[in-house]
Amino acid sequence: MFVIDPHMHTCLSPCAVLDMHPAGLVDAAIQAGLDAIAVCDHNSAENVAAVERAGRTAGMAVIAGMEITSEEEAHILALLPSVEAALELQSKIYRSLPGRNDERSFGPQVIANEHAEVLGFDEHLLSGATTLSVDRVVAAIHDVQGLAVASHVDRERFGIIGQLGMIPQGLALDALEISFRTNFPDGRAAFAPKGEFPIVCSSDAHEPKEVGKAVTFLLLAEPTLDELRRAFADKDGRAILGGGRPMEDLALHILDLAQNSIEAGATAIEIDLLEYPSEDRLIVEVRDNGRGMDPRNLARATDPFYTTRTTRKVGMGLSLLSEAARAAGGKVEIDSKPGFGSCVRAIFQYHHIDRAPVGDMETTLMVLLVSHPDLDIRFKHCVESEAFELNAHVLRAAGANPAAPDGLAALRKAIRKGEASLGRPGVSPRLHS
Amino acid sequence: MTVAEATEKIQGTVVAGAASAAMREVRGGYASDLLSDTMGNSRDGDLWVTMQKHVNIVAVAHLKGLAGIVVVNGRQPEEATVARAEEEQIPIISTGLPAFDVVGILYSQGVRGRRQA
Repeated sequence: MFVIDPHMHTCLSPCAVLDMHPAGLVDAAIQAGLDAIAVCDHNSAENVAAVERAGRTAGMAVIAGMEITSEEEAHILALLPSVEAALELQSKIYRSLPGRNDERSFGPQVIANEHAEVLGFDEHLLSGATTLSVDRVVAAIHDVQGLAVASHVDRERFGIIGQLGMIPQGLALDALEISFRTNFPDGRAAFAPKGEFPIVCSSDAHEPKEVGKAVTFLLLAEPTLDELRRAFADKDGRAILGGGRPMEDLALHILDLAQNSIEAGATAIEIDLLEYPSEDRLIVEVRDNGRGMDPRNLARATDPFYTTRTTRKVGMGLSLLSEAARAAGGKVEIDSKPGFGSCVRAIFQYHHIDRAPVGDMETTLMVLLVSHPDLDIRFKHCVESEAFELNAHVLRAAGANPAAPDGLAALRKAIRKGEASLGRPGVSPRLHS
Repeated sequence: MTVAEATEKIQGTVVAGAASAAMREVRGGYASDLLSDTMGNSRDGDLWVTMQKHVNIVAVAHLKGLAGIVVVNGRQPEEATVARAEEEQIPIISTGLPAFDVVGILYSQGVRGRRQA
């Protein structure tokens, strides 16, 4: 399973900060706990090779890309098989990109190497539009064996639906991207209710602290374009498991808690998500049979600078959850003893204006069930008196097993049906300005 | 004023839907290059002034019952756009004038963005 942020800009994009030089961007991606990134500057790929080199040094997979502005001012992401393909596409884009940049108006377009050194300034008007229609942009991307993804379809300006009213019939897009502004399940319901297109979620970061703000979870053998292509097509056992905002969505906080449990050696995890709007209460509880924590570690568990993790520089999960609960008039309680597992309970005021959105439990469950095929997971989601309960063993026995043919689809269907039974209202497309 | 009459005033050429241009009455005007905005805010019978020329402009005009589409700055609609407009009989007018002048001329002829209920 790979956590990918498939859309971010380097300092080459006039709207991005200088700190987004290739090495700085890769460092931010590592800090955010990502497995792979795609680098997509506006109408140019001058910095892609340097980001790839920085990634190779630091152990971060980098997918080449570009964000192309069509003649209609719709942004289309190109996810590309190689640096060479990116440069080939770039020469075609440059031939169709009129104007010269004015740094004072739009900002500098810095070409940098992987050692944070400035090599020069690009003079094309990268913030401008090409003279290529969306259809020709998509064709140009496919000509170099890339994937064409409509950028931030939830945005009025520069999103294809905002610019063109609807997705043009017959346009051969490989996926739609939603921004951090939209809750993942809402995006799916609004823009691809019948699964017309796969949906990915990205940060569209222009500065380091935004990297990984929204991510996509993918089931791949390795983070390459060919694997992405198969995941978008939902074939050969590759799939998009979901997406969301790791720092914000409660569903992804729950995923983080469950992953903590797994790292603490848990073989069984029980997750409760209890929503009681009428009582103004929302409770998240994760119980496990892992190693548990001694009192000293327990006291430090919500300290943002403390982690027992050694694999990644993240692990701020509990402190972030604690912060999120406090911001919503609630708190986090941890009950744990060495040898007796842990129980983390977060309580929120349901109607508090700062209460984080629930996000997408389908994503959380898919990631957990697919990544840990032997884990005993029990999940209970209540909205008032309605309840959806899931038992991983029962599901697997019934054929919703990622190892079985069509097992992924069966799993997704079972989760989606259960979540839908909680009777949330449908969502109509909403464009953010 | 019909769409065909308006075409003359703005020094335009009807590039699609000529038959309906002669018949359709211009009941108001709307100017925007964001198609989502036009879908949200234009009204039945509006002549729509835009620089967009993608085939989706025909779909929006059809959906909203617009009188016709004026494509400004001498931009020529794509082939697919013209073909679709012929099919749907949505008049498309191409003019060398910029949007500002087109709107000014139409306004001076009594075409309004706001209509009384």
